[in-house]
Amino acid sequence: MKRTYAAPRLLLSVRSLDGVTRAPRERLLEIQNRFREPESLAVTLVKAVDAGAAGVLGSPSPALRTALAELERVVPIYAVLPALSPQAYRMLEPGVEPLIARARREAGLAARLRMNLTGFLRFSAFRRGDFAARAPVLLEAGARLLPRRGLAGVVIAAPLTDAALAGDHRAFFESLPRFVRARFHAVAGFETRNPGLLLQRLREWGAAPDFIVGPVNPRGLGMKPRPVETLAELGRGGVPLVATEMRAGGLCSLEEGVHYALEHGAHGVAPDLAEMDEVTVELRGVGARLAGVR
Amino acid sequence: MSAKAGPSDGPVALPLVTQRVAVVGLGRAGVAHAVMLAHVPGCELAAVADPRSSARAALRGMGFKVPAFARVERLLDRVRPDAVVVCAAQHERARVARLVLEAGIPVLVERPMARTLEEAEALVLLASKRRIPLAVSHPLAFEPVFARVHEVVREGVLGPVEHARSAMFVSRIFAPRPRRGPGRLDPRRVAGGVAAHLGSDLLFVLVRMLGVPVEVRAEWNLLYGAVEDELHGMMTLADGAEVGFDCSWSVPGYSRASTVIELDGPDGKLLASDEALELDLKRAGAGFPSGYSRLRDADFDAPARFDFGGEALWSHDAAFLDWVAGGAVPANEAFAALDAHRVMDALYRSAAAGGTRAKVAT
Repeated sequence: MKRTYAAPRLLLSVRSLDGVTRAPRERLLEIQNRFREPESLAVTLVKAVDAGAAGVLGSPSPALRTALAELERVVPIYAVLPALSPQAYRMLEPGVEPLIARARREAGLAARLRMNLTGFLRFSAFRRGDFAARAPVLLEAGARLLPRRGLAGVVIAAPLTDAALAGDHRAFFESLPRFVRARFHAVAGFETRNPGLLLQRLREWGAAPDFIVGPVNPRGLGMKPRPVETLAELGRGGVPLVATEMRAGGLCSLEEGVHYALEHGAHGVAPDLAEMDEVTVELRGVGARLAGVR
Repeated sequence: MSAKAGPSDGPVALPLVTQRVAVVGLGRAGVAHAVMLAHVPGCELAAVADPRSSARAALRGMGFKVPAFARVERLLDRVRPDAVVVCAAQHERARVARLVLEAGIPVLVERPMARTLEEAEALVLLASKRRIPLAVSHPLAFEPVFARVHEVVREGVLGPVEHARSAMFVSRIFAPRPRRGPGRLDPRRVAGGVAAHLGSDLLFVLVRMLGVPVEVRAEWNLLYGAVEDELHGMMTLADGAEVGFDCSWSVPGYSRASTVIELDGPDGKLLASDEALELDLKRAGAGFPSGYSRLRDADFDAPARFDFGGEALWSHDAAFLDWVAGGAVPANEAFAALDAHRVMDALYRSAAAGGTRAKVAT
């Protein structure tokens, strides 16, 4: 029987631990401090899943990996790859090759062998620099950081997605989802800071990742190229969008943000740790709303 | 109490005719400009140049199918763009910008525009004599919060500024830099460390807003190499007001660059950061009521059509192209940028001399 890949409807985003969520700096530091102990993050992840989240959206950072190692049960992870902090990303030259070189340096022997094999099978040595050919090698390194059993999805991080989007790299968006599904048996997504433009391009190209992740909120914050264009694309019902940054950096409540995103065609939502005070209670509330629009 | 955000200072006009623009230098800044230019309506990324084949391959690997050259001379011969964004290495920047200006083509050059003040002055003189648009990359001036701060100060809402403090921090350098390769910062090839690379953007905003200081004093810390990782400066304006200026790329807790400006005047106080603008005014002005007001960054217009690490770079590049097409002169035109370069030069002279007072060149 052919396996189907469905986009998640409710995720707990821990992207604030990676420092990339749009929230006041003090709030990010507070969240990072609160979850400094792996036990506290591990408990939160379990509670989120128990409250109805399909999984956790985040990079396999040391904090997330340590928390997952604390747990005996499987928490589905929608891994945002490559796992790089903003400052680490800034220190590298642009393009995919410096990311691969860094991942190779940090990988264990088994991961390096797997990277080599994936590269060999895709003739990627002859296409150095090409995102479509080389990103799979990078994903191998990132995915090896997580327990394989819990890997429910692979989401290409926004710096890579938006670079390829800027270059109209159609092959990247067509081939990566196929690779992710075939190699990891997981859903494939793209994180973006330009959701309207990405949805438009995917529609024009006929490319079909399982979902994209991007900001949707009542203030239009981050809904590039324009909120009205993003909403129009959402209304067309193409590739499912899982909404983030629903509180618009704190300008509205999570309830308002979720209501707005779902009302305007978002398939699912991924509220962030930085957007919630009581994760269990608020996720249950979001889950109830999702059930209402199902 | 919150006031509604008004229009930002940075013009976000769009070019009226198609501009064919080239980017020279494909490091992080060059690629960011290439991405932005590809999304400014009426702009076409016509060509790129970088001596490193790996850098050209990296851009091609992102999907950009534009002619790529190893040498800028060849690019100018073959493509003849309407404008060039120069992001070459600092020791090459002035030479490349001069080549382009001598070809009669407008230039947007990455900051600092040259490694030395003399080179910068020669560039500005050349552009002025030939009447060719020359601008320097200072996106902070186009950040909606800081553009609004500029308006507030220029409208005199605070009265004459008596004290100012400012800081720009990011968590970036926490280990000795490599002795060779891309991460190296050789003092013979760069204008400086954190102040030249990062703080000069804040310096530009301050100088444009408050005027050119008459003298400065500064101290620096060289933590991980031969250029400064921290710089603490104090600048004295012509009317005696003091402006504090701190920058560091070696402080933890700043995953994104963070900028703060505090201003005190007889009629009010202002605190601006990347996250909010707060005002406490004795009387209403510049669209703000008397008393306390706070606007968050999300309250401001966000005109950029593409986000590749922030809002400002798109507006910044669009404003330059508008100028090239005959529109308004942007905030970051070269004469204004040269003033900031002169202040940076004075800060470096003072720090090198152990914190003695240094006059700002005029």
